[in-house]
Amino acid sequence: MLNDLLIAFQAVATIENFLIMAAGIWGGVIIGAIPGMTGTMAVTLALPFTFYMQPIPSILLLVALYKGSTYGGSVSAILIKTPGTASAACTTLDGYPLARQGKAGKALNMALYSSCMGDFISNISLIFIAAPLALLALRIGPPEYFMLMVFALTTVSGVSGRSLILGLVSACLGLLLATVGEDMYGSFRFDLTLDMRGGLAVAPVLIGLFAIPELLKIVVFRNTGTQKAMQLGDNRVTREEFRRSLKSMLKGSMIGVVMGAIPGIGPSAAAFSSYGEAQRSSKNGENFGKGEIEGIAASESANNGCCGSTMIPLLALGVPGDVITGVMLGAFMIHGLTPGPMLFETNLHEVYMLFIGMLFSSVLLFGAGKATMRFFSHISRIPPGLMAPIVLILCLFGIFSISNSMYDVIVLLAMGVFGFFMFLFAIPAAPFLIAFILGPMLEENLRRALAMSRGDPSILVSSPITWLFASLAVFVIVITVRQQLMKAKA
Amino acid sequence: MGITRGVMVTVLFGIVLFVMIPIYVPRPSFIPGFAPPPDMWPRVVSMLGMVLGLLLLGLSLSKKTEAIADPDSASEIRGNTPLRTLLARFGLAVLAFAVFVIAVELLGFLLACILLLGAVLVMTGYWRHKWISLSVAVVLPLLLYLFFSNALNTRFPAGTLLRAFGL
Repeated sequence: MLNDLLIAFQAVATIENFLIMAAGIWGGVIIGAIPGMTGTMAVTLALPFTFYMQPIPSILLLVALYKGSTYGGSVSAILIKTPGTASAACTTLDGYPLARQGKAGKALNMALYSSCMGDFISNISLIFIAAPLALLALRIGPPEYFMLMVFALTTVSGVSGRSLILGLVSACLGLLLATVGEDMYGSFRFDLTLDMRGGLAVAPVLIGLFAIPELLKIVVFRNTGTQKAMQLGDNRVTREEFRRSLKSMLKGSMIGVVMGAIPGIGPSAAAFSSYGEAQRSSKNGENFGKGEIEGIAASESANNGCCGSTMIPLLALGVPGDVITGVMLGAFMIHGLTPGPMLFETNLHEVYMLFIGMLFSSVLLFGAGKATMRFFSHISRIPPGLMAPIVLILCLFGIFSISNSMYDVIVLLAMGVFGFFMFLFAIPAAPFLIAFILGPMLEENLRRALAMSRGDPSILVSSPITWLFASLAVFVIVITVRQQLMKAKA
Repeated sequence: MGITRGVMVTVLFGIVLFVMIPIYVPRPSFIPGFAPPPDMWPRVVSMLGMVLGLLLLGLSLSKKTEAIADPDSASEIRGNTPLRTLLARFGLAVLAFAVFVIAVELLGFLLACILLLGAVLVMTGYWRHKWISLSVAVVLPLLLYLFFSNALNTRFPAGTLLRAFGL
């Protein structure tokens, strides 16, 4: 294996490949940092250009765009409280408060360090444990999936706000909104208009929920006093801060690797689960959500930890885990490579080239992140009264261009107003979002499980894996309620 | 605050459960009896939401338990501004969004965006820097329009009114 890796190393280490990967990472970071422009959009738009390239450079370009955009999402999450991508929503919780304290640079640096670490560990795991993890993921059926997602949602609801009940209310709202559109039997639910039959896309809901309420807050409360605090300010992560966050980074990377390897779970759920775990186990748990650097380390290491491992089911089983890997599957096919167990036999050289290229891209991510940070730091100098309307226009153009649809723009604006009401009632937005993303899978797996058991709900606790996740969910609820009761007494 | 929120949450999920699901979530006849129907999941979620709403309401009734249900208060940032002013500002912002959607049909995406950006800049109070605001309101949408339509081939709505005038 080592010999094969060395040969692949020689083949990948060309100027041309480096330039392609650097361009991909750089482009991804910029696109990910612009609200309304998603990683999916970046990868999809680049796909036609890869037709004219060699197979491996073209896949590396797409992977680089994916990684870059995953990190890029954190830049706007920290600087303007608008996550560029869904997976960066969790970074907003601590990144923005840090930016308001005049430590945006510190938050961005920590996001970069943890993203690179998560990314590197993810790539290593892809190389060494692809096959065993893919086998494990294969054994997970609908009841296990359902319980896994219930656990993820419970964790998110518990950690996102300061009240578990409000977190659960938010999750219920998200789950309900996710039912709009066509269901698994082809019937339509809540189709108040014809457009609603297609459901609500993630991008307008996400951007609407996080970006537009910020504008409305400025318009309604004229609260523009954040300008000074938004300066890049202190940008050094001290050795002590890094050491303190290392445990969360490593844990987050592993959570990202495992959750990324399971099709459908993805970086958003991984980031929130990692954040919840970090908050639970940290000595500074009560500071999470107020600008705790460990929170950024946890969420960013987890979402980038998914980047390499989402390739595990794709390469080993031929199963794309999310939209981006779905696009990559298309790219593989276009170049005559069929992902799946046979790929490791027929195209082992290409697989190793891809592995090596992905390792290189972690280093490039670090360089591009450092350079882009300085570039994007200028955003923080724009007054909120000007910045918020600019973000609105960026969102409008970005959202419209995804599917050339005014319906998505209306959803964006409506979600913004809804998000503002949620803010007024102190209902946290993060559980809503993650429930909205996981909702269709959660429902589908529940209904499949119940159909398998002919309506017997005991199937949901029929295996050790379901018991494990159910117990973890109960554990999270008990711990959170206990903490809140203690706080209320104090 | 806590009581209002509890009532709002309960009523919202109640409307979904008792009004919207019966009308907008049909049960197709072809689904086999043992398979969960399409309305099963929305009903479960709505019922859970109602229970949580009632719980919020119940907790807010007592001073001792209120802290569990009401950790934050958004009213803190309201300051001394009268509620009527706040409502008027919010109403204007929503009106601007609604006008934008209609304006896209009539004037096209680009012009509607320029108008919306101008209006929002006035509402945020940044309009006192007139020349910067005016330049941003015109140049930014124009640049984005050129980028998206040329580089990404996005086809933006042209606007029926402008088309009628041959523009």
